[in-house]
Amino acid sequence: MVRAFPAGIAGLLALCLVFALNALSFAESAEGGDALLKKARELSAEGRAAEALETAHQAVKVEPDNAAAQETLGSLLLDAGRAEEALAAFEAALRQSPGLRTARTGKGLALLKKGDTAAAEAALKEALVTNPNPSTAHYGLGLLYERRGEYDKAIEQYKEGLKKSRGRKK
Amino acid sequence: MIRRLPLFFIAVSVLFFSLSAHAQALLQAGAEAPAFTLKDLDGKAASLADFAKGNKAVVLVFWSTWSPRSDTALKRFEEFHLKYRGRGVQVVGVNADNQTITPEDRQKIRRTALDLKLTFPLLIDEGLKTFHAYNVIALPSTVVVTEGKIAYELPGLPLTRTEDLFDYLLALAGEPARTKLEARYQPRYDAVAATNLARGLVAQKRPEQAEPLFRKAIEKDPRYMLPYVELAKLSEAEGKTAEAEELLAKALAIDPESLVVAAELGYLQAKTGKLKEAIALLEETVKKNSYPPGHYYLAYAFGRNGQLKAALAAFDEALALNPYEPTAYTLRAEVYQKNGQLKEAAADYRKALELLLGVRW
Repeated sequence: MVRAFPAGIAGLLALCLVFALNALSFAESAEGGDALLKKARELSAEGRAAEALETAHQAVKVEPDNAAAQETLGSLLLDAGRAEEALAAFEAALRQSPGLRTARTGKGLALLKKGDTAAAEAALKEALVTNPNPSTAHYGLGLLYERRGEYDKAIEQYKEGLKKSRGRKK
Repeated sequence: MIRRLPLFFIAVSVLFFSLSAHAQALLQAGAEAPAFTLKDLDGKAASLADFAKGNKAVVLVFWSTWSPRSDTALKRFEEFHLKYRGRGVQVVGVNADNQTITPEDRQKIRRTALDLKLTFPLLIDEGLKTFHAYNVIALPSTVVVTEGKIAYELPGLPLTRTEDLFDYLLALAGEPARTKLEARYQPRYDAVAATNLARGLVAQKRPEQAEPLFRKAIEKDPRYMLPYVELAKLSEAEGKTAEAEELLAKALAIDPESLVVAAELGYLQAKTGKLKEAIALLEETVKKNSYPPGHYYLAYAFGRNGQLKAALAAFDEALALNPYEPTAYTLRAEVYQKNGQLKEAAADYRKALELLLGVRW
C-alpha cells in the first residue's frame, strides 16, 4: 500500500533528489576524460579498434593535459599503423609527464615504425634506463636489430625481454 | 594465429602469462573454476554461473577451427548433448581461434557450427582470457566444472582417456557406467589451499614464503603433484637443479602416470645433459598422451642431442596443439641458436616475447 507523503516532505524529497542528480552529473563531467579513457581501453580489449581510437581522441579532446589519455591514444595510433600521429601523442604525453616510462617506449616504437632507427634506438635505450620493467623496450630494440640483420644483438634483447617479463625463462 | 594488440595491454598480458599454462594443466582438479562471461556469435553474453545454475556439471570444450581434432571433439560432444540434455550436464563450446576475432574468424566459427549442426552454446573467447585462466595447453581440451570447482580436465583427444572422460560424463548424467569407474582422485582441500596461497606468493615474487607452504601441501597430501612441480621450479630458479630433479623423481615414484611430472623431469634431465634418460622418459610421455609440453621438451632434448630434424618435427607437433605457448618458441629458438641459425632463433625469441607481451609488430 502506498501512503501519500505530506506535500512538504514530498517537496523536500524532490529537492534532495534534484541535488543528488546534479551532484552525480557534476561528478560525471569531472571524470569525463578518465571515463572516456577507460571506455577506449575497454573497446580496444573487445577488438573494436576504430571505436577505441575515436574514444581515445575524445578523451584527449576533453582533457588535453591528461598524459595517460595521450599515451593510450599514441598506443592505438601506433597499432593502427599511424606512426607519425602516434609519435606526436607520445611526445605530448611525455611533455605532460616526463616520467611516463611506457610513453618513452612508445615513442621509440613509433620512431622505429617511421624508419628513424637511430632516434628509435636512442629513445628505446633511454626507456631501458628509466623503466624498471622494460620488456617492451627490449622488444623494440630486438626488432630494430633484427631488421638490421644483427641477429645476435636481437637475440640478446629478446632474451632480456623474456627474462624480465616472466619469473622463469626456459 | 596471434594478431597485434595495442600496447597498453602489455601489463595485463604479462599477468596472464606470468605462470605458464603447463605448470598447472592436468593438476587443477579441486581448484576453483575461474569465473567468466563470454559472448556468443550473436553477441549475447553468458557466464559460467549461468550455465551452472540448475546443472550438476558444466563441460567446457575449448576448440578452434584450425585445430584438426576439434571437429571430432565437437561432434562427439554434440552427440552427448543431444542424447543427455536435461540430465544436468551442460556442454559449452569455448572457441579459441585467435586473440582477436576478426569477422572472417566469426564466419569460420559459424560455418563449423552449421556444418556440425551444433546445438549446445558456443562462446567466443575474445582475448583468450578464459583459455589462459583455465591453463589450456592443447586444442581441443575439455574441462568439467562441478560445484564451482574443476573436477576433470583432458587436453587433446587421446583415445583411451577420452573414453574415460565420457564414462565420467555418463555417470554424471545418471547413466549406468559402461566400465567400472574408478574413484577419481581429488586432492585434499588444505593441500590445494596451501598450494594456491604459495602460488600467489610466487607471483608476488616472495618465493621464500611460498616454499614452506608448498612443503606443507606435500605433507598434507603427498599424492597432490602440483606443489612438487612448483617447488621444483623454485629450486630450479635458484640454480638448485639437482634438488629439483630429486623432488620430481620422488613425485614420479608416487604417481608414475603423472604426465606433468614426467615431462618436467625430462626437461630438467635434458637441460643438465642427461639426454638419453630425458629422451626415453619424454618419448614415453608423449606416447601416453598428446601433452604439448612433452612434445616440446622432447624436441628440446632431440635438439640438444644434435637431432635437429626430429627436434623440429616434435616442435611442430607441440605448436599444432597449442600455438600460444611461449615456452615452445623459446626452446626452439635455443635449438636454432645452438645450431648457428641465428635468423630463425631471433624470429622465435621474438614470437615468444610477443606472446608474453600480447603484442605483434
